[in-house]
Amino acid sequence: MAEHPQKPANLIKWFDPRNKSLGSWAFILNRITGLGLTLYLFLHLIMLGQLARGPEAYDGFIALVKHPIFLAGELLVVAAAFIHGLNGIRIGITSFGIAASKQKQIFIGLMTVATIAIIYFAIRMFTH
Amino acid sequence: MDKPQAIVIGAGFTGVAVAYDLAQRGLKVNVLERGPLVNGTSGRTHGLLHSGARYAVDDQESAIECIDENLILRKIIPQVIEPNGGLFVALNESDMAYREAFIQGCEDCHISIEELTPRQTLALEPNLNPKLITAFKVPDGTFDPLRLAMGFAASANAYGAEFHLFCELQDFILDGMGNVKGVQYLDRSSNQIKEIHADIVINAAGVWAGEVAGLAGNIDLPIKPTPGVMVAYDQRLCQRVINRLNEPGDGDIIVPQRQMITVGTTSFEADNLDYIPVFDDQVQLMFERGCELIPAIRYTKERGAFMASRPLLDSGTKGRSLTRTFKCIDHKESDNVDGLVTITGGKATTMRLMAEKTADLVCQKLGMHVSCQTAEIPILSYRKFHLAQNREVA
Amino acid sequence: MTQTWHVTYEIFRKKGDQPSHFDRFEMEVDPDEYVLDGIERIWAFHDRSLVFSHACHHSTCGACGMLVNGVEKLTCITSIRSVTKDGGVIRVQPMRNFPVISDLSVDMTDFYQRMESVGHQPVVTIGYEDSKGKFNTEDDLLRLSDCIECGLCISACPIAMTTPAYLGPAVLAGAQQSGDLNPCVLELVDSENGAWRCHSAYECTEVCPSNVDPAWRIMDLRKKLVSRRIKKFFGIK
Repeated sequence: MAEHPQKPANLIKWFDPRNKSLGSWAFILNRITGLGLTLYLFLHLIMLGQLARGPEAYDGFIALVKHPIFLAGELLVVAAAFIHGLNGIRIGITSFGIAASKQKQIFIGLMTVATIAIIYFAIRMFTH
Repeated sequence: MDKPQAIVIGAGFTGVAVAYDLAQRGLKVNVLERGPLVNGTSGRTHGLLHSGARYAVDDQESAIECIDENLILRKIIPQVIEPNGGLFVALNESDMAYREAFIQGCEDCHISIEELTPRQTLALEPNLNPKLITAFKVPDGTFDPLRLAMGFAASANAYGAEFHLFCELQDFILDGMGNVKGVQYLDRSSNQIKEIHADIVINAAGVWAGEVAGLAGNIDLPIKPTPGVMVAYDQRLCQRVINRLNEPGDGDIIVPQRQMITVGTTSFEADNLDYIPVFDDQVQLMFERGCELIPAIRYTKERGAFMASRPLLDSGTKGRSLTRTFKCIDHKESDNVDGLVTITGGKATTMRLMAEKTADLVCQKLGMHVSCQTAEIPILSYRKFHLAQNREVA
Repeated sequence: MTQTWHVTYEIFRKKGDQPSHFDRFEMEVDPDEYVLDGIERIWAFHDRSLVFSHACHHSTCGACGMLVNGVEKLTCITSIRSVTKDGGVIRVQPMRNFPVISDLSVDMTDFYQRMESVGHQPVVTIGYEDSKGKFNTEDDLLRLSDCIECGLCISACPIAMTTPAYLGPAVLAGAQQSGDLNPCVLELVDSENGAWRCHSAYECTEVCPSNVDPAWRIMDLRKKLVSRRIKKFFGIK
């Protein structure tokens, strides 16, 4: 086989869901939530860095994150974690030939669970 | 010592088989084809690997060619064949009236058949009409049209033949006496005009052979384009080819392939060679005739419907009674134009034999004493086919 | 009574080194005829320079795969009714992830070679292929395998879009189909550009016109590769 140059420029096309079916939606969701969780990880580490600066910096930071916008952001993280985690289970088991032909049903089932969990957390977080 | 140069016009079954035989005998072969492989009549066959039984009564020359070549193809290219045999099925009195002649005809043409009881038949093919009266096993088969051609083309490649696809013949290059010395063609991928010179040009353009020959002078080829419809249905309701025991007629065959079946065909005259529309009444006829043999077709969905033109040799008769055999024409003999031969007529099943006779003629004209070996050598894997080396791909 | 629709075909054009563009053709069609029929009429009656691949017109050769309104289709069995409406547009492009020869035709040579190197069997027993390899029958009835090597799955695959080194769904499915994981085949499929490069988009199975279910086959292949490794680790044959 001849040279096979990679085509990284095509990566952006991964995120175009038009004309794609359920499996691709799961694929796209997994990547978006994965990127989101990675971003959150960095933010989390920065936050932990604040801890090291002493009690006032920490308290100031905590006051900031009780703001609704940050709560919404945290809800996004929770949502991403559920979606990525549950879909990850689906990918994990189907990737080894178990129930691969039921992947659509498993996706719908797990995302239903995720939706319920996210709604539950939303209610918990915003009604405090 | 330079190899003699040959150009083959057309990459249908005839063209690829001729390219293979000539390349195997030591010629340098270039094939010109205006489309992709087998995009004309050849590609659209239902894929019947003929036992010849269909012609055993009325066209025994074709029938014997078919059974002999059937056995050769099974041996040299099994990779593209469903070798499950076929049945000729009688449903009514009219069919039974053909029975005696059929048995005698098959015996005359050394086509081995075996008569079965209805119970035995239905055990083999449970979806057949339960009212069938009798059936005969015949050595039919199914082949994949593109891969049959690719196999021969791959073998031709191995002996140095090049296939210039999407290259359309524009004109012949003639010498001062009107003899053919080469071709001028349009590379349709790049819109460029190119030339190749050759010692001999073989016109294997099927239905278009008349148009091609006409470019070399005032040549009239007796080809009658005779299209027919095919309809594919989305369930494999039989494992073998199912034929109607009777005279050749519309809708007399059902050919299984992969997970579908194809019902064929009709026969009528046409003018336009390049496009023949699908006529709804003919599709309906295929449906009805198919359901006579396999009633469950009425519960399937149509998967495809298409038309293709047989290149039949005109001997003055009409339609189905035209012979299905083939003809090699040396235009030096018939039209005083040297450097050009035409191979026309024929059936997919006899492609190798058509090529053998054509290559014999070509070698005789070029003074080459090489005999045909294509019946003995296994065809290479069809996936080894490749395009001409000088093709630049975007 | 057949209907007549007016549709516009937008056809991708590319010749040699010139930049590509789209040509529009207004066509009268029967909605129950096939997308390929319209393309053929465009060539026959409107533009003889059109280059497109086709052969059998009944889904056994795999030649006429194209992108139709952004979705991979085998155009000979795709009805016009299923891709547009009266007055609508049919946008036709060559398959993705293959080198384009011209207009709608792509070069399948490398792909065929890969199918060969993984040992996909073109003709198998009916029982074996129908059961997707679960059982082999004693029957001597054979048939052409489901995969028609059309390439639509490779066109639809997001991984194939970013790297031609990835073997692709049809090829991996072909290795699973053959059932023969000899060292040569293993070297190809048990590798970073083989079965492990798939990331479960499942578009391949979605667009396959021929019952291959390549996604399932890739996962089944992984199961076989993993169980081989486990057995090897524990010294079991």
